[in-house]
Amino acid sequence: MNWREIGILYRHELRSALRERTIVVNGILIPIFLYPVMLWGMFTAVTFVQGLNEGFTSRVVVEGQLPALNTELRDSLATLPDLRIEDDVAEPRAAIAEGRLDAIVTFSPAQGDVGVLPGNFRVDIAYDGSETRSVNARDRVESAVDRWRSGWLEEMGDDLGLDVEDRAVFALTSENVSTARDVSEQVLGYMLSVFLIIMVAVGCFIPAVDTTAGERERSTWETLMTVGADRGSIVVAKYLYVATLGIVAGALNVIALMVSIGAVLEPLLGESGASLEVALSPMAALVMVGAASLLALTFAAAMMVFASFARSFKDGQAMVSPVMWLIFLPILLGGEGSDVNLSVNTAVVPLLNVSMMIRDAIRGVFVWEGIAITLGVSIVLVTVLLLLARRILSFEEFLTGSFDGSFWRFAKDRLLTRG
Amino acid sequence: MTTQLHTPAVRVRDLRKTFYEEERGEIAAVDGISFDAVPGEVFGLLGANGAGKTTTLRMLSTVLRPTGGSASVMGHDVVDEGGKVRQNLGFYSASTALYPRLTARETLEFFARINGYPEDRVQARVDQLVDRFGIREYEHGRVEKLSSGMKQKVSIARTIAHDPPVLIFDEPTVGLDVMNAIEMVRVIDDLKADGKAVLYSSHIMSEVEKLCDRIGILHRGRLLALGTLDELRKKTGEHYLEEIFVKFVTEVSGSDAVVPGAFGQIDRPGS
Repeated sequence: MNWREIGILYRHELRSALRERTIVVNGILIPIFLYPVMLWGMFTAVTFVQGLNEGFTSRVVVEGQLPALNTELRDSLATLPDLRIEDDVAEPRAAIAEGRLDAIVTFSPAQGDVGVLPGNFRVDIAYDGSETRSVNARDRVESAVDRWRSGWLEEMGDDLGLDVEDRAVFALTSENVSTARDVSEQVLGYMLSVFLIIMVAVGCFIPAVDTTAGERERSTWETLMTVGADRGSIVVAKYLYVATLGIVAGALNVIALMVSIGAVLEPLLGESGASLEVALSPMAALVMVGAASLLALTFAAAMMVFASFARSFKDGQAMVSPVMWLIFLPILLGGEGSDVNLSVNTAVVPLLNVSMMIRDAIRGVFVWEGIAITLGVSIVLVTVLLLLARRILSFEEFLTGSFDGSFWRFAKDRLLTRG
Repeated sequence: MTTQLHTPAVRVRDLRKTFYEEERGEIAAVDGISFDAVPGEVFGLLGANGAGKTTTLRMLSTVLRPTGGSASVMGHDVVDEGGKVRQNLGFYSASTALYPRLTARETLEFFARINGYPEDRVQARVDQLVDRFGIREYEHGRVEKLSSGMKQKVSIARTIAHDPPVLIFDEPTVGLDVMNAIEMVRVIDDLKADGKAVLYSSHIMSEVEKLCDRIGILHRGRLLALGTLDELRKKTGEHYLEEIFVKFVTEVSGSDAVVPGAFGQIDRPGS
């Protein structure tokens, strides 16, 4: 292996790649724009649908009689700008099911002990829980009845000579003890770990196929095999090139997310009283860079091994697809809501360990023992994959395009059967 | 016996290559061939498709590993010193394509550098090649956008970008039109004049007849004859290379015999 040769080959691969539209789109443009645009699209869609629902007038049928003291409630419902009382609806329950009506409000006398209170009454609301419009109608009626009840209770209190403080038997308040930063870390811990893994994989995918199967398809493999460079240098240069594009894709994606996530999610979180405060500690940033590098180095090696036998770019994509699916496993296992955390035991599971390492780092948690094991496991995995890649290149049938373009056929014929 | 004037640039002794196929078992693609090629000489390997020409040349370029025998390029063994061999070699064939996304100039720079040409002389060398092959007008155009004729010129230029002493051309005129094929022959003549040792494989008799100083006739992995055109004529009594070729092939057909004395100056293994 010769570092001068590696440098020449590496620059050659990068220069060639940056002129390929597919690689630029997948490795640079998608990481920058996909998720911010996707989040913005989701937010816009949600607010649009919310606006539509809020803009609809609720159609309500009112049944039953109110006590004399509260007959004005019915009139107050009728004056609500976003609610219309329908007078002539046959079979109202069927009308709700058919979407012609949103709710049925039934007033009836209060039952039991509370029935002795003057003017007390009972309200039943029938609505369709599967329809947003019907749920909105219920909320509007409930809100109007609540307001009416508060006013009625105040009047009752006044009649009994109770002042405002006496009427407040107990006070109920709630306080969100989490800081904006806690909320941010919780949101980012999940989103960034998922997006980083996916983006690094996407960034490696096309270059890994292009530099192996693509070379074979373009008939430049044999050209490369006849140059003066050591075969080990060729493997390392190609590998570093694929890993570089994976790291670049991951880094661009994280930067794009960090820049856009506040603007995109702030309005959504604002409704719940939370806010976003995006700030990563230098240590967290360092661990994330390390994690992205480990991911890229692992994905690059695995994808190159699988794609190298393919006879065409298309075959290469098919060969590497299973690797892409395997990448989703750690996301599922280590994702938000999972009880799996980085520990001495879980750190030995490749990819899952890196996923958890990223999540923890964003939350400011550093399990150093787990991180050390993760580093060791990743290095061993990458070394094994690179040695396999080097061994594959030593088989001349690899160059002549044997093994039906399949890694599995190669493993069966040369690694397992004939050595 | 002919006197050997130069130290061989390429030395091949009892070279063998067998492939294994599940259905057919062991197949001897190259079956114990020996020859030398010296500087300033075009050595032709003539044979039908499947004769073993490409396999032989791929072993010399270290793409394939010999099953037996030995071969060296400029004194470097093809098995033990692959990198050195490749640095002393330029390999051109229909299966060695160019990188489509690089420009012609970038292509030449890359191949000069990766084959170990001194860094401080790379630009001068590339300029020299650009002028020599008349690609100045297209030097900054991407290879994928060049005409086939221009691609061929760039391809030859990249083969000699590092100024190697030994050049291998494996069926170089396959797929070329008449004008480009003539141009290819002219370039090889020039390389010979520059003192390069050129190995030239073809199944086109007229090209071999015109270009090659010595000719080796390959058939089913075996070298049936080796010598200058005149020596082969004397040996067979035929004038045209096509008739000479047919005569040799016909004589050995169905037998393991090699035409006596056909190896000329080459020391045959075991002799």
